[in-house]
Amino acid sequence: MGALEEVKAELARVLPPDAVVTDPAELATYSCDGLAGYRTTPGLVVLPTSTEGVASAVRACSARGVPFVARGSGTGLSGGALPHAEGVLIVLSRMRRILEVDPVNQRMVVEPGVTNLAMSKAVAAHHLYYAPDPSSQVVCSVGGNVAENSGGAHCLKYGFTTHHVLGLEVVLPDGSVVELGGRTLDPPGYDLRGVFVGSEGTLGIATRVTVRLLRLPEAVATLVADFPDPSTAGEAVSGIIASGIVPAAVEMLDNLAIQACEAATGAGYSLDAGAALVVELDGPREECLGRFGEVEAICRGAGATRVRVAGSEDERALIWKGRKAAFAAMGRLSPGYFVQDGVIPRTALGPVLARIAHLASEAGLRVANVFHAGDGNLHPLVLYDPDRPGEPERAEELATRIVELCVDAGGSITGEHGVGVDKACSMPKMFSEDDLAVMARVRAAFDPAGICNPGKVFPTPRLCGEVIGPYRPHPLELAGVAERW
Amino acid sequence: MTGMSERGPVPEAPVAHSPAGTGHGAFDGHHPPSRRRVEECVHCGFCLPACPTYGLWGEEMDSPRGRILLMKEALEGHIALDDVFVRHMDACLGCMACMSACPSGVRYDELIEATRAQIERLHRRGPLERAYREALFAVFPHPGRVRVAAVAAWAYQRSGLAGALHARRWPDRLPGRMGRWREALRALDGLMPPVSLGAVARPLPRQVGPHGAPRRRVGLVAGCIQRGFFAQVNWATVRVLVAEGCEVVVPRPQGCCGALMVHAGREASALRSARALVDAFEGWELDDVVVNAAGCGSTLKDYGRLLADDPGYAGRASGLAGKARDVTEVLAGLEPRARRHPVRARVAYHDACHLSHAQGVRSQPRQVLASVPGLEVVELGDDQCCGSAGIYNLVQPEAGEELGRHKADLVRAAGVEAVVTANPGCNLQLRRFLGPGVPVFHPVEVLDASLRGRPSLAGAQGV
Amino acid sequence: MVRGGGAVQVVRPADLAQAHEAMASSTAAGQLVSIRAGGTKQDWGPPLAPAPDLVVDTTGLDALVAHNAGDLTAVVGAGMALSRLQERLAGAGQWLALDPPSQPRGATVGGLLATGEAGPRRHRYGSLRDLVIGVTMVLPDGTVARSGGQVIKNVAGYDLAKLLCGSQGTLALVTEVSLRLHPLDAHSATVRIPATPTEATPLVVGLLAAPVVASALDWAGGALWVRIEGSAGGVRSQVEEVRSLAAEGSAPSAVLEGEEEARAWEELARIEAGEEGDTLAVATSLPSQLAEVAEASDRAAGEVGVAADLVSRAGLGLHTARLRAEDLGAHAGFISAWRRAVQRLGGTVVVRRHPPGLEEVADLLGPPPSAVEVMGRVKDQMDPGHRLGRGRFSPWWL
Repeated sequence: MGALEEVKAELARVLPPDAVVTDPAELATYSCDGLAGYRTTPGLVVLPTSTEGVASAVRACSARGVPFVARGSGTGLSGGALPHAEGVLIVLSRMRRILEVDPVNQRMVVEPGVTNLAMSKAVAAHHLYYAPDPSSQVVCSVGGNVAENSGGAHCLKYGFTTHHVLGLEVVLPDGSVVELGGRTLDPPGYDLRGVFVGSEGTLGIATRVTVRLLRLPEAVATLVADFPDPSTAGEAVSGIIASGIVPAAVEMLDNLAIQACEAATGAGYSLDAGAALVVELDGPREECLGRFGEVEAICRGAGATRVRVAGSEDERALIWKGRKAAFAAMGRLSPGYFVQDGVIPRTALGPVLARIAHLASEAGLRVANVFHAGDGNLHPLVLYDPDRPGEPERAEELATRIVELCVDAGGSITGEHGVGVDKACSMPKMFSEDDLAVMARVRAAFDPAGICNPGKVFPTPRLCGEVIGPYRPHPLELAGVAERW
Repeated sequence: MTGMSERGPVPEAPVAHSPAGTGHGAFDGHHPPSRRRVEECVHCGFCLPACPTYGLWGEEMDSPRGRILLMKEALEGHIALDDVFVRHMDACLGCMACMSACPSGVRYDELIEATRAQIERLHRRGPLERAYREALFAVFPHPGRVRVAAVAAWAYQRSGLAGALHARRWPDRLPGRMGRWREALRALDGLMPPVSLGAVARPLPRQVGPHGAPRRRVGLVAGCIQRGFFAQVNWATVRVLVAEGCEVVVPRPQGCCGALMVHAGREASALRSARALVDAFEGWELDDVVVNAAGCGSTLKDYGRLLADDPGYAGRASGLAGKARDVTEVLAGLEPRARRHPVRARVAYHDACHLSHAQGVRSQPRQVLASVPGLEVVELGDDQCCGSAGIYNLVQPEAGEELGRHKADLVRAAGVEAVVTANPGCNLQLRRFLGPGVPVFHPVEVLDASLRGRPSLAGAQGV
Repeated sequence: MVRGGGAVQVVRPADLAQAHEAMASSTAAGQLVSIRAGGTKQDWGPPLAPAPDLVVDTTGLDALVAHNAGDLTAVVGAGMALSRLQERLAGAGQWLALDPPSQPRGATVGGLLATGEAGPRRHRYGSLRDLVIGVTMVLPDGTVARSGGQVIKNVAGYDLAKLLCGSQGTLALVTEVSLRLHPLDAHSATVRIPATPTEATPLVVGLLAAPVVASALDWAGGALWVRIEGSAGGVRSQVEEVRSLAAEGSAPSAVLEGEEEARAWEELARIEAGEEGDTLAVATSLPSQLAEVAEASDRAAGEVGVAADLVSRAGLGLHTARLRAEDLGAHAGFISAWRRAVQRLGGTVVVRRHPPGLEEVADLLGPPPSAVEVMGRVKDQMDPGHRLGRGRFSPWWL
């Protein structure tokens, strides 16, 4: 019996029958996450409902060296939950209980399958919410948020998942269960929670998450300002930052993105605007509304052609609905598209956008831009027609060029979607061999056998070819004290 | 995929189609789920939280994008239309909540209907299940038979037989191998509404003039369940429309509109019904074709696509579809004319999926209710399907029951006196799980009570 | 080189290359290494044992490498003193949102990263852990590696900076740190509300639930201190809100501004920083447990006959008890009694600053967490010879 067959037999024994999926058609429905371009049918799918269930699955794998991959709602955009054909996919969508709400101390304990939005909804009556709000928040699960260190539109002011997760119960790759962090701050020892968050499922599986909640702001003010082009909108953002305001969110959509959002949601963006800026301030009423006037004036001063202030909570919700549907709505403009995720220093926005436009016209492709303009997180969407020979390949190449452009501008290959399988081969663009080797050493401390979500994050010759790519110069080379050869 | 010979007689009259295995994978050539439509799904997952079955079981294969992936696998010939495939397609409620949630505009309705039609043709269900489905379809889409069933239900309730059987929990006493039947019969038994014999017996008028200056000339689709179990809703519809200045005609003969069959993939009989209804409404020169059952309305509005292949009907069908309106759409479009009397009640409005998701009609029924002074309308804060979904609760009783209970819990938590919903299926389902304490009304019944000056909803169900 | 007996070698690298050189050569010599910058927290936690052979002094790595005001980021050498950094950033109306008690004594960015020390404004901005966006490090074997980057939003690769935060200099030598900055607020005011911990607890809970964004929410010296910063109008209205909440059941509050405000916070920082010979122990709890933690501190102090001053980061549930110079046995008794009580509440007690020899009579770290084995394996991977900061996590590992 092969190792996977043994795991199957063992799990069929210890898990309830409806928690073990072996039918080929059913397995196929788990072949991809939100990045549907990569598909691998898993060897086995299990749907545990408890920490013990997850631990038994991991122990069964660990005992036989069988790889396993954790999956939440399967909405990731970097293929982080891409299954292993000879491995087990551990699906946490049935672990979706809210275990505890402590409104007094503004904490909440949940299972990993609880969706991001469900957390905020569950505590709204206490005037609390969970701050990170990735665009997929209606469906993405907090376990996935932990793996990816998800951000969202409001992370410029409020930070990412790592700033809001206090404690984790984790099943380690050997099947043991430990607590990282806790309910109180600063537990003694290394901050393993800090390195676990954002490790893309390569260090273990979170089975219980303790988060801190924030008090809902007293006032929220949102406006949409139209600009002739993204660069002018970028100047408005610079003006806002320079005035010492930290907006709750600053989002920019270019004209193509506006077209798609409007087609999908009718949120009221101006179809003829070259760029739309969504600016949101929140906080204590006086503080928020006082400074909101400044923001309005800055936008007009920078050349806004129209400024629309959301007059009601419904209008505000609609503006955000439009923005948050942007990626998926792109299907209305183009039968195929790549969603890119890169970060640049915000101040480099103008030149980088110009360069992207230039690359796009060279490739004969359209690129729509949706981004978190406050923190320089770009989401260029490269549109293509899958039926035109060569176009998908050109589009993929353009998407890769764009992300490399971000690194060259001093940024990052990913701001929130993660590296996953999609960008593993781009990691050497950003990190030296030694950088990656040190990360691999940390990984080995958690997963010496390398069975926990293998093939993600780290470039491998199998994935990227023997020559992994142009290495970034080592810091010592830059300092002039070392040479590579 | 092999030919049809091994599959025995097909329950439906076979439709001409190209042989299987020519570029459609496991499907045959007669309207397989469209590859292009399948490709429109980008697998973003926004549909998952909207899907009631994903909510129940938390697994991909019972989610919209999972089902689409299964269709894709079948189209590519990687999997067959076997029991597993069929189980997941059957489990879909067809509530179309996923379509409201989908940012990419995927036409899940077309995909699931096409797939179900293929299943009915190409897949052979087990004998018990087949017999049960045949029995259901022998009754439900036929107004006459529903009426007989309704009278029987009336007799059953009056005779004391119901009490006697309930006391002995008769569905429980069926032999074990009839498990599925047992659940289904329990569901069917629970669904039987209190029947008003007077309403069932009295035929609707063929034509009634408007009060005051005529504003619109409308034709009423009387439905089958509606006519059988909720004749009072049809009466209320006629009265309310007339009071608001509409001339109402009820063309005869009227059969089923075909909705239940469309949803179950029974294409041939669905088309037969649709053609008959098109014929019935021919020549009346109507402004609107009024429907007061959400499930019927969504199908009527889709007649153009349904009969597109039939040159003799395509044009007339899309003409009829273009005029189809839910009764609340018509009422919301008319400036209130008849005097509204206060109705002192606190009610919850439950969005019928086939009204909200399939037709996008959400504000109009609320607008109609808002025109009634004294009425307080509470939102349930969750527009998930109640589990009725046509005949779903009869063929998937466990899931239907769980969803029904969940919805009933929400209603109870809202602390309302009654629920208002615009679909007979939802009405039956909600009654079953709410019990007699919280009655269920159609919006026109509430408006009717207001127009007739009934101070509470207690008398709303009069004829 | 003879360990323990001979003079300690000190190197003061001026750049990354020299830092690499120092670490690489220590590998060859098998030296025990410790890192020192401002030297303000060398007496925190379990002591280095045995004494190191090599001390790497990072104060030469004190460049402001970059200040990207428009991006609200800066890159600084780890040996940069925080007060100097703040002066440089203030010109652009910005600051690193960190106000640790050791700042006036010359604390550096690297030292603060290694120890995780933060001040009152952690309430609003978090600690350095929450503000660091990238690090350059040299491992004990000389390997130079980076994690993170220079942009605020970045999820590429593991976030090793978090791992280094609070690692007490036992995993790697940090040479350079990228930071996210915040705009300086134009106005500030502090409401002082006289209250015992028992009176203060419901107020803390009430303030957390109120739509007030406080910069600091400390209990110390018989009062609750609520700092509000922002625009003039915003500060005014929130101060009113705080005072009206406070008015519901305690002594009249006072509003401090300008010099008076600054002096008050300096005084609280002095208590929290302690002096040589003091023991500082930090308890963690939930915010609602302030009264219980304070009462436990009083009881423990009473039992052993020492005076314990408490400074509580009340909104965060972090409580520093300062014990003045007494005999070590009394300090040890306090620690174990307080820890027992705090553990019952679900918290922990860890000793920071302490007089020499306390480690002989008291458990400074408390019981190891459930993940102690993985922590040990992380240490093994980063520093296989356990040469860096040996003793700092004793007895959990070498």
